Amino acid sequence: MAPDISRRGFLTGGLAAAAGLAVSGLALPAALAAPAGQSDQDLCTLLDLSKCIGCEACVDACRDQWQADLPDPVQPIPRSLPARVPTEDWSGRKQVRDRLTPYNFLYVEHLEVEHAGRRVELHLPRRCMHCQNAPCADLCPFGACQDEKSGVVHIDPEICLGGAKCKNVCPWHIPQRQSGVGLYLNLLPQYVGNGVMFKCHRCLPLLRKGQAPRCLAECPQQVQSIAPRSAQAAQAQALARDMAAKDGASPERWRDYVYGLEENGGTNTIYVAPLPFREINAALLKDHQAKAHKERADAQAAGRPPEPGNLGRPAMGLVKNSMGDAQNLTLALAIAPVAGLAAGLGRLFSKTRRLAGPAAAPAKDSDSQKGGQA
Amino acid sequence: MNNHYAPGGRPAGWLYALACGLLIFSGLAQLPVMKRYYLADLPGLAFSADFYVTSNLHYGAAALLLGLLAWRLGLALRQTGGRWSWGPRGRWGWTLLGLLLLTGAGKALRNAGVFVWPGMMLALDLTHLGAAMAFMLTGLGVLARRGKPAGARQTALARSRP
Ligand code: SF4
Ligand code: SF4
Ligand code: SF4
Repeated sequence: MAPDISRRGFLTGGLAAAAGLAVSGLALPAALAAPAGQSDQDLCTLLDLSKCIGCEACVDACRDQWQADLPDPVQPIPRSLPARVPTEDWSGRKQVRDRLTPYNFLYVEHLEVEHAGRRVELHLPRRCMHCQNAPCADLCPFGACQDEKSGVVHIDPEICLGGAKCKNVCPWHIPQRQSGVGLYLNLLPQYVGNGVMFKCHRCLPLLRKGQAPRCLAECPQQVQSIAPRSAQAAQAQALARDMAAKDGASPERWRDYVYGLEENGGTNTIYVAPLPFREINAALLKDHQAKAHKERADAQAAGRPPEPGNLGRPAMGLVKNSMGDAQNLTLALAIAPVAGLAAGLGRLFSKTRRLAGPAAAPAKDSDSQKGGQA
Repeated sequence: MNNHYAPGGRPAGWLYALACGLLIFSGLAQLPVMKRYYLADLPGLAFSADFYVTSNLHYGAAALLLGLLAWRLGLALRQTGGRWSWGPRGRWGWTLLGLLLLTGAGKALRNAGVFVWPGMMLALDLTHLGAAMAFMLTGLGVLARRGKPAGARQTALARSRP
């Protein structure tokens, strides 16, 4: 859907109407905006998809707020050597808004889903889920992808080298790369890095000033709310129970109607929908497949290399906790030294091999020996 | 102190070398280089492009190293004596190893879900990366010097002394 001025005018009125609502107005409620605007609470957004009319005012708001701040690449963009990693340049396609790109942090899926013998129209705003234990932040080797106490996960464009590991380890492959910008240009641009990764930062600069995210504030339907995660999780469960009941399902099936509560170990973005996410995901995958087919053909015709992956359109399948193995292995890290120390104190293997003769004399530290033996 | 024993014998040295080798390999694989530089295309190395697999490998090797070092500490505390045939031999190596263990522990806690302030995380990440590079280069230097013929080594040593 293209941006249009009249819709924006309409939204200003909608915004005024929404201003009275504490958790979905322009300013964050005082209880959520900590001193210096740095919230100490894990804030979570909850999206009630039954309210979304697909107007894309949220997309407009995000683009208006942030797109102008995003850097344009140097030209020509350095080609990487060897040419294994593609140069990704979205600077000439900033108008694209039906998927995630480095210049578009939020898009809306417009779906028609076959459900219980009827066609249900559904609109889904999609952006970073702001995972509670985000693998993109945990596994970034340079500390560029960071998570805040407020539950925001963001990428520092001054540090990111654009290696796209965050995109690789993200179960939804959210971050998007713009080549030809960032720190790597000052290093060895052909051999190290490939740009900067961009994604939704949940309006961190505004949040720090005690203001609500723009997409939330500008929505005429108040689809999103922001509050501490425990409260949002309880609210999501109540809404999902209600939606399951309205859908004729047993209230015990309420988990089918909520997404983000447990996905990837729990996220700070929770969706509730009037139909099961299993069916929504099936419709998404079908739609994405058709779009990917067309876009890859278009890219080929335009002489661009075909883009791998989900083409900036995340699905909504079940996602196990990406950091689950690491969490379990932490136990091994805790046990190993205790076991080792116990073995040492118990003199286990203390005299395994008798050394013979003067050759076995202890070596003194010398300049040539210092420095570790890896 | 009785220096006529090498605690654990050769297997202890092999385990230390195995732990360090796996840590360096899986640590390097945490940088997005394995696919970019076609290393993951080599037969049997496809797994090296999977950041989760190599991260698990890093944890496993770190547990082995921690176990070995703690065992050595235990024996040292009991003053059992013996000549250690493995591990850093100077302050530089131990300092690097200490830094790696401390920053690694911080990273593991964060991966387990403990909140670490972003500035602190940045310092942990960069220190871990820098210390790992220094440890690897130092280790390679030591191995290279060991590989040199004795005559060349002594000449180099003599030259390096004032
Ligand atoms: S979330 Fe709100 S602003 Fe965005 S498309 Fe839905 S109704 Fe419109
Ligand atoms: S959704 Fe992806 S990019 Fe966003 S916080 Fe989670 S892992 Fe990171
Ligand atoms: S939270 Fe802010 S940055 Fe994220 S999609 Fe909404 S407006 Fe854009």
